[in-house]
Amino acid sequence: MTAALAEKISEAHAAVRDSLAPAVVTPDQRQRALRALAAAGLPTTRDENWKYANLRSLERVHFAPSSPRPRTDIPEAALPARIEGYARYTFVDGVFAPELSSVVDVRGVSVTSPRSSGAHGRSASVATRMAAALRAVESGAVPAARSDDRLAWLNEVFATDSARVDVGEGVDCPACIEVLFVATEPAQTAASYPRLEINVGANARLGLIERHVTALDDANFVNAAVHVNVSAGAQVSHYRLQQAGARATWFDTLSAAVEKDARYDLYVVNLGSLSARSTFHVALVGERAELGLHVVSLADNLQVHDGFALVEHIAPYSKSEQNVRGIAGGRARVAFNSKVVVREHARGTDSRQSLRGLLAGPQAEIDVRPQLEIYTDDVRCNHGATAGKLDDNMLFYLLSRGIERDMAQQLLKWAFLEDVVARITVPELRRHIEASLAGQMKETAAVKELV
Amino acid sequence: MLKIENLHASVGDKKVLSGLSLEVKAGEVHAIMGPNGSGKSTLAHVLAGRPGYTISQGTVTFDGRDLLALEPEQRAREGVFLGFQYPVEIPGVNNVYLLKAAVNAARKHRGLPEVDAFDFLALVREKMKLMRMDESFLSRGVNEGFSGGEKKRNEILQMLVLEPRLGILDETDSGLDIDALKIVAAGVNSLRGAERAFVLVTHYQRLLDYVVPDHVHVLVGGRIARSGDASLALELERRGYDWVTEEAA
Repeated sequence: MTAALAEKISEAHAAVRDSLAPAVVTPDQRQRALRALAAAGLPTTRDENWKYANLRSLERVHFAPSSPRPRTDIPEAALPARIEGYARYTFVDGVFAPELSSVVDVRGVSVTSPRSSGAHGRSASVATRMAAALRAVESGAVPAARSDDRLAWLNEVFATDSARVDVGEGVDCPACIEVLFVATEPAQTAASYPRLEINVGANARLGLIERHVTALDDANFVNAAVHVNVSAGAQVSHYRLQQAGARATWFDTLSAAVEKDARYDLYVVNLGSLSARSTFHVALVGERAELGLHVVSLADNLQVHDGFALVEHIAPYSKSEQNVRGIAGGRARVAFNSKVVVREHARGTDSRQSLRGLLAGPQAEIDVRPQLEIYTDDVRCNHGATAGKLDDNMLFYLLSRGIERDMAQQLLKWAFLEDVVARITVPELRRHIEASLAGQMKETAAVKELV
Repeated sequence: MLKIENLHASVGDKKVLSGLSLEVKAGEVHAIMGPNGSGKSTLAHVLAGRPGYTISQGTVTFDGRDLLALEPEQRAREGVFLGFQYPVEIPGVNNVYLLKAAVNAARKHRGLPEVDAFDFLALVREKMKLMRMDESFLSRGVNEGFSGGEKKRNEILQMLVLEPRLGILDETDSGLDIDALKIVAAGVNSLRGAERAFVLVTHYQRLLDYVVPDHVHVLVGGRIARSGDASLALELERRGYDWVTEEAA
């Protein structure tokens, strides 16, 4: 990071320091994150794992968050329709907005915002976890995770609020909560720092939607931090819809720990943003822990969707499956770099990576890269990556049935994404996502009819 | 209906059709036979408009119109149907959806309104019964996970629903057991009529036991070496292709 950028962040922090809620992140932790950031610097495209991201906007961003009070002038109609069964918690520019929220009514499930509840004692566990992780790495107790937490530190410096979801042991809530993050401020004025922590107790089941949208102004700067704890035997389906503004810069750092016999499914649908970058770090820490990472990216015009996933198999017989499908049209770029690391005790690991990109524009770009690092024997790891154009045989087949060329191409793009979307088993949510995809694919009514 | 004159076609540097001429009248069934590599499938593909072929000479007219000037989708809407030798799987695009989109494309072309969804499904079900296809077909992706025989039956089902004027079947009989062959033949026969014609591309005479052709042509080296009636197919079955090849040489 240039010294100027570090200085800018530091100054921005100094200016708003007193208004940042200590219940969300304590001043000490903010200082620590600030120092770590100054030392490590923000990522640049010279960093191997960031070379496909669009980081130019970092130079122009006003890093401080907007006023601590959430704006209340957002009409319900400006927000996406609610999905039946899911209690909605809305955060505007990173701050809980109760008037746009409903309350979950399931025993054993709670959603709290430390800022509004003032629950100091239980607030900063993401930070605590990170500090503990940092100490562990420093002491050599665990191998240095090669994930990249720098943007999570940035979130920590400025975090205005957080959504904390706690699900008690054995609680069954497969259609449960939607956390909606709305960004309203233009990047030159203020940044938005969504923060989400999900703790799922042993043998519980949770279905959660995390959605990022825009209202009022679509040139936002959003930098989210998410942490998920999946306790032994629990099952979590985490659906993320990135529908940020058309001119927005959107960053996200997600970390997850999956314990014994637990399964974590993360479904990511990337539609919005001019520039989006997600960094995932999932650790399979318990025996037979499982991860399903399912990603769909649909980018057009000048959009950049970049993703980096680090999946660590730490315990024996753990399993991970990644399915990534990206379509780049116009001059857009879709990149996904996925690294699976099998640690020395993780015998019996089963890991699959399928990364596929489709070029749908003459100047579009696809970069998919699977990587594997294996430190033990007796593992089964396979990976596949393809980047190409629409299949000529499929296209000719549809044309030979009289289907218009435009429509045939749309159908094939649709089919390409359906490979992943069809894995979403909640019908209403799947329909909603399909409708969003169809909306993005615009031109043909044909695709809409499929929904 | 279909008139091919002195057609020359190549793939890359390889000449595949060298001066092929053929006339197919409405109501007729023509069988195109010949040894491997004689250009049978190329003929089927060129007629349907598959990209990758260079036409250096010759003309093809369909009802008097220049067929080669039309895009594949336009040919289909004009009533040309190609039954593929290797139908592709398109997971994610539903079978029925494809059928309906294809029917509506043709109807739009003729200035007709879209088909009624309910009537359409009833029609598809009726044709499925004829092709002995399972109900589960309706919810599956195009040819997704189909066996070879199911794929071929699906081609015929599409043809039955689309009711083309000219059906070109490219080795539809290959890989079929005798029961499936009979089903496929029954499907083709159910469409035969004075307004419609068929070009059956086949390597073996077997299919022609069930769909009896009016004319049989033997392709050798990219042109028709011999023509005859249905008895020619029987003779080929008995004597093989060598004698025609030798005569042609």
